[in-house]
Amino acid sequence: MHEEHDRAAGPDTPVIPPLGEHLTSPRTRNAMLVQQEVLAAAREHLRGEGFTELLPPLTGPVTDPGGRGAKQLDVDFYGHRYKLMTSAILYKQVSLNAFPKLFYVAPNVRAEPPETASTGRHLFEFHQIDVEIAGADRNGAMAVAADLLVHVVRRVVENLPDILRALGRDPVFFQELLRGGWERRSHAEVVETLTGMGHAQDGGSEIDWEGEALVSHKADRPFFVTDYPKGSRGFYDREDPERPGTLRNFDLLAHGGYGELVSGGERRSDHRSIVIGIRESGENPRKYDWYLEEVRRGIPSSAGFGMGLERVTRYLTGLDSLWQVSAYPKLPGVVTP
Amino acid sequence: MRNLHAGGFPEEAVRERARRGPAALFPPDADYGATVTGAGAEPTAGTGYPADDPLEGARLVPPVFMPERLEKLIDLGREPLFADVDLRTDIGGFASALPLYVSAFGSTQVGSGLALAAAGQAGRLGVPMVIGENVAPVSGYRADASVLRRLEAYEAQVPDGVGGVVVQQSTEDADAEVWNQVYSDPAVTRLVESGRLGFELKVGQGGKPGLGGMTMVGDDAGGRLADRYDVSASLGGEGGLCLRSSSPGTFTEEILHQQIRFMRNNFPRARVWAKLPPGRDIAQVVRVAWAAGADSVTVDGAEGGTGWAPSVFLSRVGLPLGECLRRIGSPGGCLLVSGRMWEAGRAVVALALGARAVGLGRAALVAVDEDSEQGLVRLVEALAMEARLLVSALGRYSTAALSPDDVLLPGTADAPAATVLSEP
Repeated sequence: MHEEHDRAAGPDTPVIPPLGEHLTSPRTRNAMLVQQEVLAAAREHLRGEGFTELLPPLTGPVTDPGGRGAKQLDVDFYGHRYKLMTSAILYKQVSLNAFPKLFYVAPNVRAEPPETASTGRHLFEFHQIDVEIAGADRNGAMAVAADLLVHVVRRVVENLPDILRALGRDPVFFQELLRGGWERRSHAEVVETLTGMGHAQDGGSEIDWEGEALVSHKADRPFFVTDYPKGSRGFYDREDPERPGTLRNFDLLAHGGYGELVSGGERRSDHRSIVIGIRESGENPRKYDWYLEEVRRGIPSSAGFGMGLERVTRYLTGLDSLWQVSAYPKLPGVVTP
Repeated sequence: MRNLHAGGFPEEAVRERARRGPAALFPPDADYGATVTGAGAEPTAGTGYPADDPLEGARLVPPVFMPERLEKLIDLGREPLFADVDLRTDIGGFASALPLYVSAFGSTQVGSGLALAAAGQAGRLGVPMVIGENVAPVSGYRADASVLRRLEAYEAQVPDGVGGVVVQQSTEDADAEVWNQVYSDPAVTRLVESGRLGFELKVGQGGKPGLGGMTMVGDDAGGRLADRYDVSASLGGEGGLCLRSSSPGTFTEEILHQQIRFMRNNFPRARVWAKLPPGRDIAQVVRVAWAAGADSVTVDGAEGGTGWAPSVFLSRVGLPLGECLRRIGSPGGCLLVSGRMWEAGRAVVALALGARAVGLGRAALVAVDEDSEQGLVRLVEALAMEARLLVSALGRYSTAALSPDDVLLPGTADAPAATVLSEP
């Protein structure tokens, strides 16, 4: 029993064992070996494709405003209010002139609403394999994301069969994935499917967590969801000029109920449209002044994505919850070391 | 030196500006924190009401024939009385005991000091309450009388199944992420899970349409806030205070639409409200807000109160609430109104003209200033009884049954004049 945990997050919130016990459990050890293989495979693949790895910033005057109600964390930077990175998207964009194909393995911090502690898919601290490609369009970014995931899965399945077996994961689960032919569905189609399944999904919003799990349960391999409605994502996602109100972005959803692994899209790169986007998300452009100054000087058009490291590891291991694939897990709203 | 006299000219006002400069655009510094003000502060002699406020000139006009009363009689099996009027209603997604809510008090000294008392009493009454913008960035989210304390004071007293708390966010609050902070705060879980948390996008207010929030701050606080707000040097007023201004926010149809969509996307378990100033395009704006999915739209008439505003905005800027209601016509969603509300005459007229509920702002502050334990509760009890008397006199038994036919607006006495009835 570990009653010392703060249970303000709700009755369904998992109870994490004391850190020492968690770290020494064979399950955690196996999960970390899978994660290590994922990182090595991702780096090998991306470097082979001509990407440069940079180390991302941890703090900055502003960070990704993101969405879905997660709070940013303030840091006192010599009397200036800085933020811990929720994602380094803005830094990715301004780095493209020097590094047109780049990636980070980026630690991010988001104070997600406590209700997410029980989704199995949210952590307060997590990592992304964060990729950006100058001059690419959405199709280009989707192809890179698909190739990356296939490479990572293949390498884990080939190199770690004993560990997968010990975790109870049958490699057959990934058979269809490795064959390719991943479907592409529009957000509107997914909303229609969910509505047909009796799940109330707002057509103007992100697919909710339950909805993602529902559609992802029905699939036998990962699939893309494209064309999210404007207002459901950060201001940096580019609107489709042919179809106002629709964004040229995508998510990659895993099969088996694991939901979103990757989120990405084409980016806005012109000053006017970025300023309007910031205003449409209710913020004062003044706080983004360093970024807007770089945008005025000129940043390339680009597309990119973030692949959740813990999410991919969980998908590979078949474990129930993200905290099981993190060495030092912190669940939203739950006080742990 | 006074050698010149200018009869028939506002000489004293000119002299005041000549003495005080820009400070004369505002009420005297000494009033800051001790007064709340609003348009029509000078009532027309003899009537007690400002001349240009159509709601005050309106009369409630009961008919003699009342088929709805007969229906109520059949329903009850006895003659209905005023106590049979059901004042419960849905306000922007919250069940409310009465067709009223407590409006936002912002970060002015007045609002902060009395807000906790008002929050507790609003909870006890089971009516929704709005927490004003700029409170968190100015006072700190967890500080005394700030957002969290007001939420807790309300929640401690609100009965199950009614009420709700709505938190405003200005552009400066967006910087402090007030909504994200509230939404991710375990202390607010009970309100979220019972569907009683909302967020209000403040587009503007009646006391100063087209301007952002304004308060006066001392030099030390001014320095602390200068990275997020415009803090002027002292206006040269008596108290050495500085004017702290928020940005009014830039809105187009698309920006308003997207901001509301963004709120719905980010906070799926919170209600989404929007508060509008009495702009001349009000009818179009409310339509955009409802179409984007706002659960409720509040129109704050030019009579709306404020803790601090340039005097010229109170006397010359914005549509009176009655004119807003006329332009909006039959509402396409939940419409809330505020501005000079304190008794049921004005409130029932507004409800009959399409509002779902009315907001108490200054009235709530004055009431808790009168009695911090019971003042607001008693004021509302009086208003509720008065409303039941008026609504029942109109032959109605719920506020939803009221209609524009129940109101005679000034200058519109065009009721069917006596056409000659044919003899039987």
